[in-house]
Amino acid sequence: MTYVISETLSEYDTPICDTLAETVKKSLRTSDTIGIDRCLQCGACTSSCPAARFTDYNPRTMIKRVMENDMSVIEDETIWNCFYCYTCHLRCPRNNSPTQVVQVLRQMAINKGIGLDRLKVLLEYGDTFAELGVSKIPDLYVGQMEDDFDRRWHEFKNNLDAVRSELGLGPVAVRDSGRGEIRAILEGIGLFERQEKLKQMVESESDTVDKKGQITDEAN
Amino acid sequence: MKQIENIPDCGILLFKSCLVSVEYPGIESSTTYVFDKLGIDYLVSDEQSCCTGLGYYFDLFDQMSTTAVAARNFAIARKNGYNNITPMCSTCYAINKEACALLNSNDEVRSNINSVFKQAGLDDLIYEQNSLDEVDNFYHVVELFLSKAKQIGKLNTIDFSGVRVAAHHACHYYKIQSDDMIGNPNHPLLIDTIAKSCGADVVEWYEDKTLTCGAGFSQIHVNRDLSLKVTHAKLESLKEAGVELVLHMCPNCQIQYDRYQPVIEKEYGTKYDFVHMNIGQFVALALGADPEKVCGFQTHSVPLDGFLERIGVSF
Repeated sequence: MTYVISETLSEYDTPICDTLAETVKKSLRTSDTIGIDRCLQCGACTSSCPAARFTDYNPRTMIKRVMENDMSVIEDETIWNCFYCYTCHLRCPRNNSPTQVVQVLRQMAINKGIGLDRLKVLLEYGDTFAELGVSKIPDLYVGQMEDDFDRRWHEFKNNLDAVRSELGLGPVAVRDSGRGEIRAILEGIGLFERQEKLKQMVESESDTVDKKGQITDEAN
Repeated sequence: MKQIENIPDCGILLFKSCLVSVEYPGIESSTTYVFDKLGIDYLVSDEQSCCTGLGYYFDLFDQMSTTAVAARNFAIARKNGYNNITPMCSTCYAINKEACALLNSNDEVRSNINSVFKQAGLDDLIYEQNSLDEVDNFYHVVELFLSKAKQIGKLNTIDFSGVRVAAHHACHYYKIQSDDMIGNPNHPLLIDTIAKSCGADVVEWYEDKTLTCGAGFSQIHVNRDLSLKVTHAKLESLKEAGVELVLHMCPNCQIQYDRYQPVIEKEYGTKYDFVHMNIGQFVALALGADPEKVCGFQTHSVPLDGFLERIGVSF
């Protein structure tokens, strides 16, 4: 990974601080009372974690590394295994929340250009949301669902409007007052600016890959 | 702490869900059917947007954007006088509750979002501190059903005796703001209690009762094998308990179980003899709703024909 940015994509989600623990505590994504400093390393989080049950992800050691300001934790691939199920958040006896901490670490990883593969399929999400007022599963993922699911699902999806109408339900999209409210709000709050920066990072990453490819070709 | 006797039955904004709308629309029609039967005063607003929960937990949306969208929906609730925001989805519930807490407690967040509203000429959306309360104005539909469990039991038209039922309580309802759930977050029983009031033979504990469904937002799409391992573990646990019907309270979980059960059967070479439905669909059915025209069971991936026949409902 060669792409590194010094700035943060969100001063609220990943405020620039002296230590990882400070960024975590000041992030809007974590509770004001988050007990990261109170962690006992008891392991209640890891023993109840579905990702730890099936992979090498270990919320207890992840928290330890954050407390020790071990920046390499941001680049640890196992942080992407968390399910955001909040079982650790419930089980922790010290009001710590490994799942909230991981959300901040992932945002810090994204700031550094890590995890963009996941985000690049989502870059139309904001526009769809602005237009329809609903979340839409990205096309790539829908394609996978089409492969996975049988004809019952396909038939239903092809007849969604008719099914909804038979159930007495109206259109899925939000009725806009004509003010373009959702777009204006997302624009004003900076979501599109964030999305644009992510797009540039994705493009810059693919340029780097292309250049590497060319170099390899020349070397051959 | 939320008390069951304080659950409101008026001023309810039935908060629409993106996944209910396009995957299991019968959850919404079942819920309104039940609300009508129980005399609950509610509103469904075509101005309300989705909560952004998918975008937020896909790591795309930031907290400020999600909170701003929530503030707009809160304004719609207030404008219509339906201040009790009540989703059918556990993530909508948690996202909205958290957004409200932030708007009330964090002056910078509130003023930042309000200034965006002002600059866009949307002054009617401005959020006044404490105009909603993050505890008293946020409910999940399952809590309303629970508060009416006795009435539901009296109105029940189906003999569920001997039908083995288990519940999957959605993580984002009881694990995020666990102080505000009804009951014990280490052993949630809301759905169990409602099913019991209809005479079902409820399996309160099964091995992996509190395990996540495995959807994990992006996980089912990006880490598909890991996601299905978790779901497989859960399905095995339900099989072990010998259940016939699994009840849900979140569309994301329902997709993971109902849509992926046939996929897991194929990939793991196994077979499961149980079906899935949302608690709203279950209560609607119990109260006499049409399985297709109200409950929308034809949209499910695991066919319910056999189960419905077993309980004497023609489909």
